[in-house]
Amino acid sequence: MKKNLTKPYYKRYMSIKKPIWQQPWGYAESFTISFGILCVGFVLEFVLPKTQSTLAFPINLILGASLFILLVLSHFLLRKTKIHAFLSGIPLTIALVAALSVLVILMGILPQVPSSQNGLIQQLGLNQMTGSYPFLMINLLLLIVLGFVSLRKTFPFKLKNWGFVCSHWGLWIVIFAAGLGSGDLLRLKMDVYENKVELRSYDDNKKYYEMPLAIKLKDFLIDEFNPKLAVVENETGSLYEAQKPSMIMIEKDLHCNLQSWKIHVEEFYMTSGRAGDRYYQLADFGAAPAAKVQVISPQTDTLQGWISCGSFNRPHESLKLNDKFSLVMTVPEPKRFSSEVTFFTPDGNKQDAILEVNKPVTVNGWKVYQLSYDDKMGRYSDKSILEVVRDPWQPYVYLGIFMMMIGAIYMFWKGRESISD
Amino acid sequence: MQVTLTHHTMIWSNFILVLLSSSLLWLLAFLFYKKEFLKRLFILIGIVCIGSFIAFLWVKLERPPLRTLGETRLWYAFFLPVIGLITYWRWRFNWMIFYSLGLSLLFLGINYMHPENFSKTLMPALQSPWFVPHVVVYIFAYAFLAASSLVAVRGLYQHHYKTLDRKVMLMADNLVYLGFAFLSLGLLFGALWAKEAWGHYWTWDPKETWAFITWLGYLIYIHRRHHMPGKFQSSLWILALAFVILLVCWFGVNYLPSAQFSVHTYSQAP
Repeated sequence: MKKNLTKPYYKRYMSIKKPIWQQPWGYAESFTISFGILCVGFVLEFVLPKTQSTLAFPINLILGASLFILLVLSHFLLRKTKIHAFLSGIPLTIALVAALSVLVILMGILPQVPSSQNGLIQQLGLNQMTGSYPFLMINLLLLIVLGFVSLRKTFPFKLKNWGFVCSHWGLWIVIFAAGLGSGDLLRLKMDVYENKVELRSYDDNKKYYEMPLAIKLKDFLIDEFNPKLAVVENETGSLYEAQKPSMIMIEKDLHCNLQSWKIHVEEFYMTSGRAGDRYYQLADFGAAPAAKVQVISPQTDTLQGWISCGSFNRPHESLKLNDKFSLVMTVPEPKRFSSEVTFFTPDGNKQDAILEVNKPVTVNGWKVYQLSYDDKMGRYSDKSILEVVRDPWQPYVYLGIFMMMIGAIYMFWKGRESISD
Repeated sequence: MQVTLTHHTMIWSNFILVLLSSSLLWLLAFLFYKKEFLKRLFILIGIVCIGSFIAFLWVKLERPPLRTLGETRLWYAFFLPVIGLITYWRWRFNWMIFYSLGLSLLFLGINYMHPENFSKTLMPALQSPWFVPHVVVYIFAYAFLAASSLVAVRGLYQHHYKTLDRKVMLMADNLVYLGFAFLSLGLLFGALWAKEAWGHYWTWDPKETWAFITWLGYLIYIHRRHHMPGKFQSSLWILALAFVILLVCWFGVNYLPSAQFSVHTYSQAP
């Protein structure tokens, strides 16, 4: 019984073969066009000189507004035409998303960093994909297609389409605002030193800018994890990782097995200094962690000695296990770090704040982040590295993101039901 | 010293109580899985147990318990059954509710076996209220999408022998819709978190890039199904392929040449 039902069902949807480029256009035309765009994009990338220019205010706003107006006008003028049906159709959507996937897969495999080499990868812009012509062209076309689809579902508006409208417009707004906004996005760094006021920031090329915002670092606080035990190869100095875990956090009186050695930490100081044949607890500037360890080798030989990871002004010390390996202490990693700062704005206002990772503070249109510190100095760092970000398009991107979230929840709730068969 | 020690034992004895009562309640839910009311009641009380323990910990620690590995796992153990129950309430997937309960107990069990996890502070960037929701919705996304690909394999098999049932396709579609919804939320939560932690919502980090490719893969499937609901074979292959990309994203990213610049590789983290 079932078989009889399925067969006509299959046949009903069989497409009738038509020659390519005959209306109405479908998958063949869509994929050909997408492939063509990719080719043109890569040729442009290969031929045209590489420029770093991005569209900044007000050009991006004018271009964006023109695109939007053009989109709306052409939608209402062409809505009954075949070209509009094609441009807002699923075959072209799928072909463009597939083309985008190819580009993004390349981006996911090849490291996206500027390179001094000049091979094919660099000439085709594959190491800086987001700024390359094929990527921008595919995205622009996607924006047009997505715009037409969204407009078609919005006018005339039907209440049952609200989830569709929300998610599609949301995505449109995100691509539009994030794409155009990238030219106005400023991500700069500021190095602030304890008890000093800093007014300058710099970009990745070390170009300095004067900020409409001064920052004084009152105090930089850092809390560290204990250092870890690790075995390294004497010749290369590289970590020996025959067994996991290859590193174990040090604590006083720790008994553990590291690779094939049994280790007992007899003494441990987070800050210490060497005097004579041993280390003593010490709170000096630059005092480093140190531990006294007892090691039993697989051949049951016992070794004993002090190890230390050293600091910017103290040498490190390792324990030679045999001709091939040594036991070392790793440099402690930060548990949390924060900066106590005062902001001064041109209007004469003063504001105190504590900056921490994941807890940025917004001042005068700038978002200030705790980024890093002088890692050579570690806990003795008097320098805090902050990131200052200005992103005037962010509220619009967030609007799009929230619309997409609502769309996602709608999708969860409705499931496959929302599609009529 | 004495104070912290009694604190610790008190927190600890309560934790065992929570672990035992949730396990017992959910075992009962499993045994009575045909009795709708009892099942939901048992699951709900188990969730309340974990929730109260988190609240208790919050009060005792005088800060939100989000700083250590153990505390994070506690939140997973709480949110997994919450979303599992909401999903069950809407879609009646028994496998999904018990899968989420099982995972929740697994997280509680790991915490019980490794109490030192409660003192293992996370690296600073991970100490965020976005961390837990970001991970939890991904767990659901991956579970639904994995289930949909199992259905796809079954569909391809049936298609080969010309016995494909339309119900199988509808099942695959529905699972993809739910998985895609969670996947989108995971990406978007990640974007909002990234803005708070790293200064920008999207930086094309390799993991982000691969999650985005996964998203595109399922996007193609959904549009293809919407356009050609009667064509099964191509859709089923797209679905199978999308799952391969998902696996690359889940396991493979760290082995790619691009991964050396990723913020998602935590192998060096304590």
